[in-house]
Amino acid sequence: MADIAKLADALDAAVRDARAIPKLTERDPFDVATAYLVQREVIDRRKARGERLAGVKMGFTSRAKMVQMGVDDVIWGLLTDAMVVESTVDASALIHPRIEPEIAFLIGREVRSPADAGAAVAGVAVGFEVLDSRYEDFKFTLPDVIADNASAAGFGFGSWHPPRDLANVGLIMEIDGRVAQTGSSAAILGDPWRSLRAAARLAQEAGIALEPGHVVLAGAATAAVPLPAGAHVRVTGAGLGSVEVTTR
Amino acid sequence: MTETAISTIDAAAERILGAYASGVPCAPVRDLITTADEAYAVQERLTERWLADGRRLAGRKIGLTSKAVQSQLGVDSPDFGMLFADMAVPDGAEIPAGAVMQAKAEAEVALVLEHDLVHERHTVADLIRATAFALPAIEVVGSRIRDWDITLADTVADNASCGMYVLGNRPVALADVDLRLCGMVVERRGEQVSTGTGAACLGHPLNAALWLADTLARLGRPLRAGDTVLTGALGPMVAAVPGDVLEARVDGLGDVRVAFAAEEE
Repeated sequence: MADIAKLADALDAAVRDARAIPKLTERDPFDVATAYLVQREVIDRRKARGERLAGVKMGFTSRAKMVQMGVDDVIWGLLTDAMVVESTVDASALIHPRIEPEIAFLIGREVRSPADAGAAVAGVAVGFEVLDSRYEDFKFTLPDVIADNASAAGFGFGSWHPPRDLANVGLIMEIDGRVAQTGSSAAILGDPWRSLRAAARLAQEAGIALEPGHVVLAGAATAAVPLPAGAHVRVTGAGLGSVEVTTR
Repeated sequence: MTETAISTIDAAAERILGAYASGVPCAPVRDLITTADEAYAVQERLTERWLADGRRLAGRKIGLTSKAVQSQLGVDSPDFGMLFADMAVPDGAEIPAGAVMQAKAEAEVALVLEHDLVHERHTVADLIRATAFALPAIEVVGSRIRDWDITLADTVADNASCGMYVLGNRPVALADVDLRLCGMVVERRGEQVSTGTGAACLGHPLNAALWLADTLARLGRPLRAGDTVLTGALGPMVAAVPGDVLEARVDGLGDVRVAFAAEEE
């Protein structure tokens, strides 16, 4: 039996020291169920330090990524209020940050079931996620990345729009004014609303309530790109406006 | 060009025409030609032959419009090929087995012109004024070169790897669609196999069309009223397997489908 507290210690220290660690499964293999226990333990430590749960993020929502990782279901991570990026992010406090364009949902009322998730959405927005694997070279197995809270490090979102069709929203991510990635929200499980329902299902299974004010990051519309220091990043979504972040 | 160059251009054209005639892909032609100019000279030989055969020129396709594909081939400019009327199939039609060699598909924005574009340099205003409407399109590309083993010279000589194309049926005015931010998805049996957006095509499909208009006017076969321009892929190319039905949706433009006949018994 894996020592969950010890694994969580290692990941928590890696975040706080901004220092990469070897894959946890290398020395001590564990399964996906254990990985989620480690993830919860790391979040519990952050909560004990005063952070509050702010939502969830979905991972492996693209077919290509699922095939690459040899999985047939999405994974998820938990977001806290300390991960919210207002307008700047300190890249030096991160190990090897990457950024990717996202579609974000704002939960408006308690989600009672996966089928109810859509009706509980108060707003949709274009967003970004800052990823920072705590593992050396950004390399991991499936249990490793789940234990590491799906590489979550930070997230931001533009202004909220009324719920709408999101099946094929064109997305552009620019770094310092130059197009770095282009894509469509269709890359997110075919439709980000599907990812929202998956989030509700995973939350229900994990006994976590999606509450008013929580944000669900549906998944990446393109591959992530390295996030350099001193950069200006803008993500624009058709009909959704844009969201910007600068890095120190 | 020297006489040697001319004879190698004829040889390259004959090799590609041989592949068309036999239905069997040929060796690359880069042993015969190297420069882009020579490759376009080969393409022009094919065009002259096909026009003499009575085929009607219906437009052009632009290729190599994505950064990723350009760096793959080590080039920094797009290319173009000729679209003939007999290459167009209606929305949802089935492409017969063998009609396009080594077929792949990509979703694009098509522009249909209502004015000629004959100037040496065109502005985006010229282009917008000359465009009657946009349509969603699927280009079925193919290569007469064995295993798609192509350099820039090979693909340009081979009519920019043109195969066939399908246009959507509902025209949309340029004022009514954001061609930079239009999402694009290609689905096979409900599963997305390619996604992208307009900006993937040289930053904007009109940027690609401008390059084409200037280039063609310079080469003496300018774009004319009525021409269709396939502006370039909005996302990665998809391999087309016999029996496939692919559906492309371009946000703001609509959707379009193409089917590939199952292989004969």
